[in-house]
Amino acid sequence: MKNKLKNIISVILFAFLLFATSIVCIFKPETAFSESERRPLAAKPELSVESIFSGEYMENFEKYTVDQFPLRDKFRTLKALFTTKIFAKMDNNGLFTTDEHISKIEYPQNDEMLKISAEKFSFLYESYLKNTNPNIYLSIVPDKNFYLAKDSGHLAIDYEKFISDFKALVPYMEYIDVTELLTKDDYYRTDSHWKQENIPDIAEHLAEKMNSPFSSEYTKVTVSNDFYGVYAGQSALPTNPDTLNYLTNDIIESCIVTYYDTGLPVVGEMYNIDKANGKDPYEMFLSGTSPLITIENPNSITNKELILFRDSFGSSIAPLLAQGYKKITVVDIRYVQSAFLKNFIDFNGQDVLFLYSTTLLNNSTAFR
Amino acid sequence: MLFSSIPFLYYFLPIVLIAYSITPRVLKNTVLLLASLVFYAWGEPKYVFLMIATVTLGYIFGLLIDKFRGKALAKVFLFLSALSSLAALGYFKYADFFIENFNRVTGLSIPLLRLALPIGISFYTFQILSYTVDVYRGTVGVQKNPINLATYVALFPQLIAGPIVRYSDIEVQLTKRTHSFEKTADGIRRFIFGLSKKIILANSLGELCDAFHQSADKSVAFFWLFAFCYMLQVYFDFSGYSDMAIGLGKLFGFKFMENFNYPFISASITEFWRRWHISLGSWFRDYVYIPLGGNRVKRPRLLFNIFVVWFLTGFWHGAEWNFIIWGLYFGILLTIEKFFLLDGLKKHKIIGHIYVIFFTAISFVIFSADSLTNALVYAGGMIGLGGIPLVSGEWIYYLRSYGIILAVGIIAATPLVKNTINRLKENDAFEKAINVLELPVLIVLVVLCTAYLADGSFNPFLYFRF
Repeated sequence: MKNKLKNIISVILFAFLLFATSIVCIFKPETAFSESERRPLAAKPELSVESIFSGEYMENFEKYTVDQFPLRDKFRTLKALFTTKIFAKMDNNGLFTTDEHISKIEYPQNDEMLKISAEKFSFLYESYLKNTNPNIYLSIVPDKNFYLAKDSGHLAIDYEKFISDFKALVPYMEYIDVTELLTKDDYYRTDSHWKQENIPDIAEHLAEKMNSPFSSEYTKVTVSNDFYGVYAGQSALPTNPDTLNYLTNDIIESCIVTYYDTGLPVVGEMYNIDKANGKDPYEMFLSGTSPLITIENPNSITNKELILFRDSFGSSIAPLLAQGYKKITVVDIRYVQSAFLKNFIDFNGQDVLFLYSTTLLNNSTAFR
Repeated sequence: MLFSSIPFLYYFLPIVLIAYSITPRVLKNTVLLLASLVFYAWGEPKYVFLMIATVTLGYIFGLLIDKFRGKALAKVFLFLSALSSLAALGYFKYADFFIENFNRVTGLSIPLLRLALPIGISFYTFQILSYTVDVYRGTVGVQKNPINLATYVALFPQLIAGPIVRYSDIEVQLTKRTHSFEKTADGIRRFIFGLSKKIILANSLGELCDAFHQSADKSVAFFWLFAFCYMLQVYFDFSGYSDMAIGLGKLFGFKFMENFNYPFISASITEFWRRWHISLGSWFRDYVYIPLGGNRVKRPRLLFNIFVVWFLTGFWHGAEWNFIIWGLYFGILLTIEKFFLLDGLKKHKIIGHIYVIFFTAISFVIFSADSLTNALVYAGGMIGLGGIPLVSGEWIYYLRSYGIILAVGIIAATPLVKNTINRLKENDAFEKAINVLELPVLIVLVVLCTAYLADGSFNPFLYFRF
């Protein structure tokens, strides 16, 4: 190709690329929500003299142009593939794939966050539990990297130290170790959570340590063979979906599940199948984020009750623990002020289990 | 507004190119000036008025210097021009530095001004200074058209990160410049290569540098890895910006001076500074070093001249002691070379290359710090002070994770690819193949850069202190 011709073609081609992309950017209808990243996308900012002079308009316009960029998910995938396959970077935006699992680097240990978590738990202990509830347990669910990072060479916290440090901050709790009972295959490949169908042994172990009866007879029900977890969208890498199952039996089906999202009781389902088809299918377990839920088991062979302070890992294990208790009160202190709990719960000798993942304890700014 | 951003690439640039193309020749500078003011106001809505005021003063002083040419008043106006430009720079950039140090020495606690630094103030101040000095010297004619002078100073391609374009370089181009497919295609190529250097290489290396800053697992090896990565990050960021500026300049018919010429292949620090930030080095040479007497003075005065220039070079980069130390560090190295090492380094090129990489790596560690204390901590870390281990888990991880990026960066920092292509082009068949392949390569680079931007990847702006 002659230089002159090459120059003409270059100019025409890039002018076309530039202007075509620009026109699509300007006229593309706005998308409100990113299904893959599970977050609302920035909308076009309002223009005003104040917003211009404060710089707010420009800042928000930049976010808007990035969020609303045409074919953004495809571009994100391209970037993730280029970074990890061509540049051989071991992670892309902190996410990595190994053994067909997508995981997020949880590193380093944040001692300040551990302290904040422990202080919040200690507040609950001092305010409600110290004189009334002698059986207080703690179980820490390791994030996937506990089982993945060592072999793959990714950065991971020193879990032994992490757990030991946290136990030392809450000496009034009896620790129940579940790390030995889990493997990487007990977690979804594309999500941060554990699979309910793989954790009856965990529930049994917890029940045993809390002197609660347990039976592991369940029926497995498949809800979806097309479950893409939170990491699938965040990583933007091509991946195969997981299967979303839940476990049930007569006891679970007979339980009365009451949600107190607004403070008022609303009877609902243990497994919310509508949510299984929503933006975060894992929310099907106890309907996802909820400040306070009670699970009453009319067929319980004991009068024992349990208060479960939990994060999202608790949503899928609470149904399995239900058979050993007359009533489980499931509390998520990310969505309810700890100081208000006395208005909803009568603390009077129930077993108390704090079940939290390393991820949440290491990033505990959300506790209220 | 950053060149490496979606608003610039897919909103601002297409609109400006259309407006510029359809505007008659006499109004093209007006379009460029308006576009440049919008570009600047996008990042600094308030400080756009400061820039306009600075340009206006430069314009007026230029006219006055010209009017009183040959008279004492011309010198007075030149002095006032320099004073007004430097006063603005001093107030916005250096006031807190002086207050802080004054407080430290006297024990007083005069409150700091805590002003946001107007972006690009160091660049456009130097451009106006060079204009009024050149008008005084008579090396350029006075610009009577305020639009043309403002276009020269505010021209958005070079406004926020250089090169420091001399008025003498584009005096003619401001009124008589040509546009052609060749020039435009060259500009496109240059812009895309610059954009790729910034987004794909500099930002990727910047992620590692950022991880280093946040690391609680530092080691001697990690300090060195950081030093090399930071050195390359700054190079690709800065030279990428310069490439984009030069490329954009060509799209609008301008030819700006080159700012970088593969500095890391230098065999001496003297050579390094002939290849690194050329427009700044030559500015200090022509407007500070030579007026002070340059080389043609006695040794003590020569030493004084060298250290004044390198003190100012360091201070120009930021109002912190570590920048001053950084500048003086180069002053010392250049002095040693000038009197002792240069001949030896010319004879032993390999030793020269190792020496340059070693000392520039240390210099960039000093440069990267946000205070003198941190600069000393970082420099100490490179030799194992502070009880840190030789290697750490994080170092192993980041070396593995960024190994290829680092290798690509090292190759791209040398003229190896460019020279190979030029050599291959001597053969007709290869030349044709390269010409055919060039377009797809450029398209792939643009798509990749867009992918990085659409992903919202790490995209720092390094010139906020300049």
